[in-house]
Amino acid sequence: MAAKTDSVASLRRLGWLDPTLVGFCAVSVALTILAGLIQVRFGTFPMSFATAWAAVSDPAVWLRPNVLATLLLGEGAASALGFTTAYDLAKPTLIVWSIRLPRVLVAMLVGLSLALSGAIFQAVTKNELASPFILGVSSGAGLAILLTLVAFPALSTLLPVTAAVGGTLAFLVVYAIAWKGGTSPVRLVLAGVIVGTVLNSLQTALFFFAGDVGTVQQAVAWTTGSLTGVDWEQVRMLLPWVVLVVLPGTALGARQLNVLLLGESTASALGMRVERTRFLLSGIGIVAAAASVAVAGIVGFVGLIVPHMVRTVVGTDHKRLLVGCAFAGPALVVVADTVARLFFPVVFGSPTQLPVGIVTGLVGGPYFLYLMRKRQQLGEL
Amino acid sequence: MGPTPDSERTERGPADVETEAATAGDATTTTDAATAAALVGDDLTVGYATTDEPVVTCDHVVLPTGEMTALVGPNGSGKSTLLKALAGQLEPWTGSVRFDGDDVYEMGAKSLARSLALLTQDGDTPGSLTVEELVRHGRYPHRGFLETLSESDHDAVDRALAVTGIEQLRETELGSLSGGQQQLARIAMTLAQEPDVLLLDEPTTFLDLRHQLGVLDAVRELNRDHEVTVGVVLHDIAQAARYADNLVALRDGTPYDWGPPEDVVTEELLAEVFGVAATVREGPEIVPHRPLE
Repeated sequence: MAAKTDSVASLRRLGWLDPTLVGFCAVSVALTILAGLIQVRFGTFPMSFATAWAAVSDPAVWLRPNVLATLLLGEGAASALGFTTAYDLAKPTLIVWSIRLPRVLVAMLVGLSLALSGAIFQAVTKNELASPFILGVSSGAGLAILLTLVAFPALSTLLPVTAAVGGTLAFLVVYAIAWKGGTSPVRLVLAGVIVGTVLNSLQTALFFFAGDVGTVQQAVAWTTGSLTGVDWEQVRMLLPWVVLVVLPGTALGARQLNVLLLGESTASALGMRVERTRFLLSGIGIVAAAASVAVAGIVGFVGLIVPHMVRTVVGTDHKRLLVGCAFAGPALVVVADTVARLFFPVVFGSPTQLPVGIVTGLVGGPYFLYLMRKRQQLGEL
Repeated sequence: MGPTPDSERTERGPADVETEAATAGDATTTTDAATAAALVGDDLTVGYATTDEPVVTCDHVVLPTGEMTALVGPNGSGKSTLLKALAGQLEPWTGSVRFDGDDVYEMGAKSLARSLALLTQDGDTPGSLTVEELVRHGRYPHRGFLETLSESDHDAVDRALAVTGIEQLRETELGSLSGGQQQLARIAMTLAQEPDVLLLDEPTTFLDLRHQLGVLDAVRELNRDHEVTVGVVLHDIAQAARYADNLVALRDGTPYDWGPPEDVVTEELLAEVFGVAATVREGPEIVPHRPLE
């Protein structure tokens, strides 16, 4: 009898995990794996798909904790923990694990962060056209990047930090501007537009002071979002934020986001402290966005279209929406980055790599055109 | 509390309203033993951050326990503002609102929401939400940060759906419901809070007549059968007179009169407060004629 009630209770609890959501996640995982495999197969060192797969699943890595620890934690930390950091791996395995795979992992983490961040901001601003960058993060980070490159080139190793700090500061300014005895979704969005406009002008102005083409190119790569040259170091930089802040934060925030969707006054009448909740949720969204900006620059459109796409499939319930985003975000960025890295080399045989942000932008535009044609109304959530 | 000349009515001070409140309380003792005040507002001035002048000034307002009180008045008379202040959602500039003796603005937001529910006018109903999912949000103040829904939460949801008579719509998405059904679902959400006091801000606006009556019937049944104290803002004074035990008539942000409908609804009130020439018949039943200049 007790067992029966238990199973009824657990059924009720997991009732939201329906075939649509599970199927959607499975498709996303399949896409991620497929694109990831293509990504690790191609490169200057040629290998077949079979070799690539064998290298990814090489037991010489998976079964040896010291190898995994050295890759994941870095040599310094791993040897400090008592792991031997010297090891031998087959050449394909070495290339895949030390050069090509980290890029796929960073792409996944960036996709995850941006998609969750976008879902949070769309709920907080009650606007499905909002993105992680709507509250000033992208313009703040962009300005910080340019300032660092142009005015303080000595600090360019700290670029990830300055980008994240710039984004966060801009967000705080947006919040301060929007505050008048409280905020509202509309005021937040407007303040974001105001701050964004000013900071973007300053950015453009700074381009005139950039000394050489190299600096400008570096700045463009950062402000459009690029995963070229990312390494395990970027995985180490991003992973703690994702695991310790973004994932638990969104898991806890799902119900609050659902209640916020009922409207501020209803949420407040239900006993929610709306301002505090909204600020904390925005904070989680900012951490997610800033962390991804720190490793990849400003990858546009991911945080805008992923929550949107997921919503059309699984609905507005944030438990389902956030789970869907956590799978679809990585899929989109891994696929886009595969295209960004391999399109020119494979099709034209030229070594040029595109910034991934250009590809996501090229996907995002037409997607919204399609939506605009298909849907009667777009905007308010 | 018989008919009084116009001049006397308009010049009456707040003290008289208070006296009248006490009188009305006495009048109901014959039918109902519980006449304690569930919600009391004293010396209130209420306004918004954007207004220089207060929107509502009210020396004393009472929602008696177990009764249904309607706030009536023309557009802009401050009835919704007063309700928000009483609900603990709009802190008055001066004065206090007490629930069962406790200042509502000093109670925690969640503990207040466990005793007092407010159906707001401008709430959103996301179309893809099912009725049951919406009603479950009513358990928000009862749940801890990490708690999942308990059996008692599910029971409260089931009861709320049963009382409002929308059990059969449990799995239906809000987007495919009529306005009246949506409003019943929102009322069910406030009932899932299991409040002692339920405040409703114009629950019948934008509904057709049939659904207006359906919603008001449901609210009155709650009040009668489930002993929920009700405070409701209505702009239709005829409906307010039919359904409520007490009326509070507001004019320009101050209570003009207070009491049972048969005492409050008079021809001069309709003229003075609503600016309407009307005949009031037994019941009270209102036959409006024309707007006054």
